Amino acid sequence: MRKLLILTLLISVSVGMVFAITAEDILMNIDKNMTAKTTWSSSRMIISTRRATRTLSSVNYSKGNDISYSEYTAPAKEKGTKMLKMKDNLWLYDPSTDRVIQISGNMLKQSVMGSDLSYEDFMDDLELLESYTAILDNDITYDNRKCYKLILTAKTSGLSYFKRILYVDKERMIPLYQELYAKSGIKLKTMKLSDVRKVGNRWYPMHIVFKDELKAGSGTTIINDDIEFNISIPDYYFSKAILKK
Amino acid sequence: MITKLAYKNILGNGWRSLINIFILSLVLTGMIWMQGLYDGWSRIARRQMQEWEFAGGHYAHQDYDKYDSFSLDKSFAAVPPKLQDLIDTGDAVPILYSAGIIYPHGRLTPVVIKGIPAEQNILRIPTTHLRIQDPDTQILPVLIGRQMAKSINVVKGDILTMRWKEVNGAYNAYDIQIVQIMDTPVPSTDMGQIWIDYDKLNEVKALKNSCSVIVLKNQAASTYVGSPWNFVSIDQSMKGVDAMIQTKRVGGYVFFVLLLFLAMIAVFDAQMLAVFKRRKEIGTLIALGMTKRQIIGLFTMEGTMYMLLGSVLTATLGLPLFFYFGFQGFPIPQQMSDFNIAGASEPIRCYYSPIMILSTFMIVMAVTVFASWLPSSKIARMKATYALLGKV
Repeated sequence: MRKLLILTLLISVSVGMVFAITAEDILMNIDKNMTAKTTWSSSRMIISTRRATRTLSSVNYSKGNDISYSEYTAPAKEKGTKMLKMKDNLWLYDPSTDRVIQISGNMLKQSVMGSDLSYEDFMDDLELLESYTAILDNDITYDNRKCYKLILTAKTSGLSYFKRILYVDKERMIPLYQELYAKSGIKLKTMKLSDVRKVGNRWYPMHIVFKDELKAGSGTTIINDDIEFNISIPDYYFSKAILKK
Repeated sequence: MITKLAYKNILGNGWRSLINIFILSLVLTGMIWMQGLYDGWSRIARRQMQEWEFAGGHYAHQDYDKYDSFSLDKSFAAVPPKLQDLIDTGDAVPILYSAGIIYPHGRLTPVVIKGIPAEQNILRIPTTHLRIQDPDTQILPVLIGRQMAKSINVVKGDILTMRWKEVNGAYNAYDIQIVQIMDTPVPSTDMGQIWIDYDKLNEVKALKNSCSVIVLKNQAASTYVGSPWNFVSIDQSMKGVDAMIQTKRVGGYVFFVLLLFLAMIAVFDAQMLAVFKRRKEIGTLIALGMTKRQIIGLFTMEGTMYMLLGSVLTATLGLPLFFYFGFQGFPIPQQMSDFNIAGASEPIRCYYSPIMILSTFMIVMAVTVFASWLPSSKIARMKATYALLGKV
């Protein structure tokens, strides 16, 4: 009987070891959920400052991590503003002046339409597994969900955020909370992701609150009203010609 | 004889002459004072900018454009060996520029971070405050100017967070403490500028002994360094300020050209009236044998004497004014000293160069002589008989 108990225990441990999830597995699963060949979405960006709150609506198209196109549809003041990102280049079309300007250099550090996102953040789409080394920390409960806590350190020196801390929903493999750090260890930004829904065969957060931790205000909320993945989007949407259309 | 006659005529004109002389004196005084003010301003601006920013000239990285903040994060290179020797002997100081963001009271504010060695003594920036005692400190000492402190609403001792990007693109951030608020008269070392220790900025930018500009103690030390460094002389550095002062000088000229025009009208009017009133006298002089040229000379001499007497009055009444503004200076109003102009933070001591005084005198003299000659030129065509009959 005693031998049987030991054997059972050993088998349990071995099975546990075989099926123990690694930090890399978690990152791979997050990337599977969060990235796609193509994405189309209709979203709202709610910008809250100390003085006022305003909402911008847009339709967005993206291809992989490097190419994306957004067109603002509301409010009237911003309607028609278009933004095209192609790898490290970002162009902005302003309908009031009918001009296309390239955003570069120091200007990339400025906030997008007064939000907590800089143009650089807007361009910062990357696959976590490829970019970061992850360490699995203690489990944590966040927003009533059981989560893995991951500590990510940049593999290369060129990444904007040297360190990230992620709380990843164990069941749906979606980061529900992220902290983004400077190299010195100062917390720069946080992201809260919620309203996780099943879209096709993946989970996706429809509600994201992005907060610049150094700046006053309650942050910027991005709400995806509708989203589709891996649909066919004509190449025309990812060319500079679309900006002046 | 003509001089004596002209002098008697001026005395005979009484109040009219006095008013003309006074107006000419006023114009002369004003023009000299105004030009002295702008020359004084230019000299102060040059001195201040040399003391606080350029010293004996500087080498700038070829990609650096002071009017383009986008150029900040790409305009740096390792200190060239030729200039390292000058730095080591205290004859040059390297400064590293970086774009950054600070968050005073939670407001995102773009700044230019400037790294300068704490032990330098070429520029008047009080860099000794930037010395870092503990190399592992997480709070970096920084210097800012008074205008900058006012605009972001901070005081000495305040701690805030500053963020920038390393050369490889990663964000870095530190808390900074305002250890000193300096009274710099040069806005380009004040507004939007954060001064930090050179070595520390190199370290937190993931660089090593790299800089954007190298300021020389003496221009004589300048030598060809080659790419990517361009030597920028003091005159080249002063171009922007000189152009701004020149614009203001032209604005002042407009006012004095109007005043000079009015003075010319006054002299012209006085001479015209004299010609009209003295036509019988002119006729008599012509009848007595005076040539037309002598008659014109007489009236032109009168105009010249107005100018000479005006100069005497200027010397009498204007000199105390010139001396006062030359030694005490012209205090700049507070609203104007907040402008981004070097040299506007302290009373401007007027500078009167002999060339400037002589050229101003010659201009006013030429205008006065012309205004006196114009009415008398008509006399040259007059017949003595008509003049005696009072027909002009």
